[in-house]
Amino acid sequence: MSDAVIIRAEGRVPLTSLAEHIGALRANARALAQRPVAGILDTLDAYGKALVESPETQRLDGVAFLSAWLRRGNLEKALALAIGELARLDGFTPSGQAFLAAKPRGLVAMWMAANVATLPVFSLVPALLTKNAVLMKVGGDSDGMQALLRVLAQQPGTPSGAELCACMLVAAFDHRDRELTRQMSSAADAKVAWGGAEAVAEIRALPQAPHCVNIAFGPKYSLGVISRDRLAAADLGGTVRAFVRDIAAFDQRACSAPHTIFVERSSEVSLQDVGKAFAAELATLPAKTALDAYTTVQILNTRARWSLDPRRDLFASTGSADWTVCLDEELALKEAVQSRTIFLTAVDSLEQVVPLIHPSIQTIGIAFADVERARRFADLACAAGAVRCVRPGLMNAHESPWDGRMLAADLVRWVTLKP
Amino acid sequence: MSSAVDPGIDALIAGELYARPQADKERELLAVLRPLCLRVAQGCPEWARFLERAGSDVAGWTRLDDIPALPVSMFKEFELRAVPREEIQRELNSSATTGDRPSRIFVDRTTANLQTRALAAVLKERLGARRRPYLVLDCAESAAAGDVLSARGAAIRGLASFARETSYALKRSPAGDGDLELDHAALESFFAEHAGAPVLLFGFTFMVWTRVLLKLRGAGLRFDASQGVLLHSGGWKKLQEQAVDRATFARAAHETLALLPAQVVDFYGMVEQVGTVFLDCEVGHKHAPAFADVLIRRPGTLARCDAGEVGLIEVISVLPHSYPGQAIMTEDQGELLGVDDCPCGRRGTHFRFTKRVERVAVRGCGDTFAQMRGAR
Repeated sequence: MSDAVIIRAEGRVPLTSLAEHIGALRANARALAQRPVAGILDTLDAYGKALVESPETQRLDGVAFLSAWLRRGNLEKALALAIGELARLDGFTPSGQAFLAAKPRGLVAMWMAANVATLPVFSLVPALLTKNAVLMKVGGDSDGMQALLRVLAQQPGTPSGAELCACMLVAAFDHRDRELTRQMSSAADAKVAWGGAEAVAEIRALPQAPHCVNIAFGPKYSLGVISRDRLAAADLGGTVRAFVRDIAAFDQRACSAPHTIFVERSSEVSLQDVGKAFAAELATLPAKTALDAYTTVQILNTRARWSLDPRRDLFASTGSADWTVCLDEELALKEAVQSRTIFLTAVDSLEQVVPLIHPSIQTIGIAFADVERARRFADLACAAGAVRCVRPGLMNAHESPWDGRMLAADLVRWVTLKP
Repeated sequence: MSSAVDPGIDALIAGELYARPQADKERELLAVLRPLCLRVAQGCPEWARFLERAGSDVAGWTRLDDIPALPVSMFKEFELRAVPREEIQRELNSSATTGDRPSRIFVDRTTANLQTRALAAVLKERLGARRRPYLVLDCAESAAAGDVLSARGAAIRGLASFARETSYALKRSPAGDGDLELDHAALESFFAEHAGAPVLLFGFTFMVWTRVLLKLRGAGLRFDASQGVLLHSGGWKKLQEQAVDRATFARAAHETLALLPAQVVDFYGMVEQVGTVFLDCEVGHKHAPAFADVLIRRPGTLARCDAGEVGLIEVISVLPHSYPGQAIMTEDQGELLGVDDCPCGRRGTHFRFTKRVERVAVRGCGDTFAQMRGAR
């Protein structure tokens, strides 16, 4: 297949075979394993600061959040949650009568979804902190990826950003290229797949080493809930604003973006009022610069479906497919249309939503005035399958655990010593 | 609801079809579309609601762009009718893929009459007024009479008004699997009588290719339709998957039916707007007749494309009186080739169909489409 390239900090080079790069990647990762994890944390902290200062990267969608996420304190906390004692990433530490260490799995092959420009970094960082080599296939904006790598390669430290870059190979090629795909899978000690159901299933089914572990971040659906008391609260505008930030980020293509928001009926604020508030807030966003034909058709179909049906209503941008707010009373999760399309559904009680929740539900944006009720709802929702219940505005804030798992924990082998 | 036809519509069908400059044409179309859409909205509350929720004031339409276009798939999901059921003369159904519902188009006498006259006018402009021997590259059952008619049947019957006599080139396979095969006897008989005559051949593109052209070529058969015209429509996606382009199709038509490329005429049309067809001109550009138009819109902004741009195809027609099919947003993409400047001399918009809108390859980990569909 044509146009297969390796994306390096310094530019793109043609890619014909991955196999020839694997030995060097593994050797570089072995060298990285000799560095203390504290050094890697420092380098990544500096990287985060540089991302928002570099003209190349500061305008990438989601880079401000990525920068904050890369702060040493944040990564340290996440790593401690996944691994426990960080020193175990550097060698054996006492554990009762024995010693424990967390060793890298080796070579981690990653298939990235193209929906979120900064997603590769969120996936790379846990692999680097656990001192693995990475073979990554990206699916989207390779210009953005190159800029992200260039800024990393410029970071000084021990290890330097260049040393970290040497532990990874980022490639872009057609997903139908069977040979490159086979090479990636065969070489892997762990496979990480982000994407839709079909892509994830295909990657899982590829030939692989017997010890290789599969880690899938498959398709997920996210939603929101607004309680009656929150509707009556003085800061409803703030709640709506925060939800609209969640809707606008990554054009609603992230698995954490809300599509349906259930609104508890209130005698004080009608669903129409809430719809108008969302419409007003969505109208303040900058117009979208481009949209594919398929999503446009989905938006137009949804608008018509809601317009023609007397039981439904909608607010929508005039003359363009910019944003759409659909109102109804059907207790159901609506199919994700994406690209600033939100379904607001009135319910008598938010507890009615719980039976709709299943293991493919990822994040629930919860807007409750009563914190205790929020906790009770989250208990029920998470028991039913959801994995995150967070305040509006935080739905797309990547964190560990994600999709119910801690990637860093999945990327180590626990080894024991009893001398 | 009255089914009276605005004299302006009669004039558009009866007059010069491709002579008006685009600006004049749009003005004339709007003049008849405003009252027509108001009448249809009065009879079809769903459409009235659609217009209202789009914030559209019919009286205020000043450009064709102002008409809110109804997405074509809504005819599958809603029973959109602007006249009482007893006034419906025929229901037209689109072909539906497995698990999909067909479009349901409710045609009253007025609309049926306009469809027939409009189609005849377009064909007359392209083929001349003389009725021709008509060979349908399909089976007779596809056009069987009844209250419900498929898209194939509607097209076959629509062209029949242009025929002197009608024959069918295909028949059902004796295997009983619903497949079609060449009716050699019918073909031999048709060409025994009409070889070298100005015949009219019509079929759906994929069927013409797989069941006629390839079979004739495979059998080493050749018939003389050298003075005829082969009209065909639809189905390019399957052919593109088999790497069959227009030139390949035309070459096979030449080898098997002695037709020159200019005699192989593709047209764009849909069951939701029967009678409104956009025929290829002599240079292969599709044209909108006086009673219809095509808007190519940019995805996202929905602004009209400039020449050379590819966008979503919206079709406008003044023929539908019994359902809200005056402005339909298709799920097809086309390239706007120009306005008032086709080398063939016809005025107005000229365009080419490019492809169906396809699902974008990568929608990411937030794309639960397959799961939601699977759960149904």
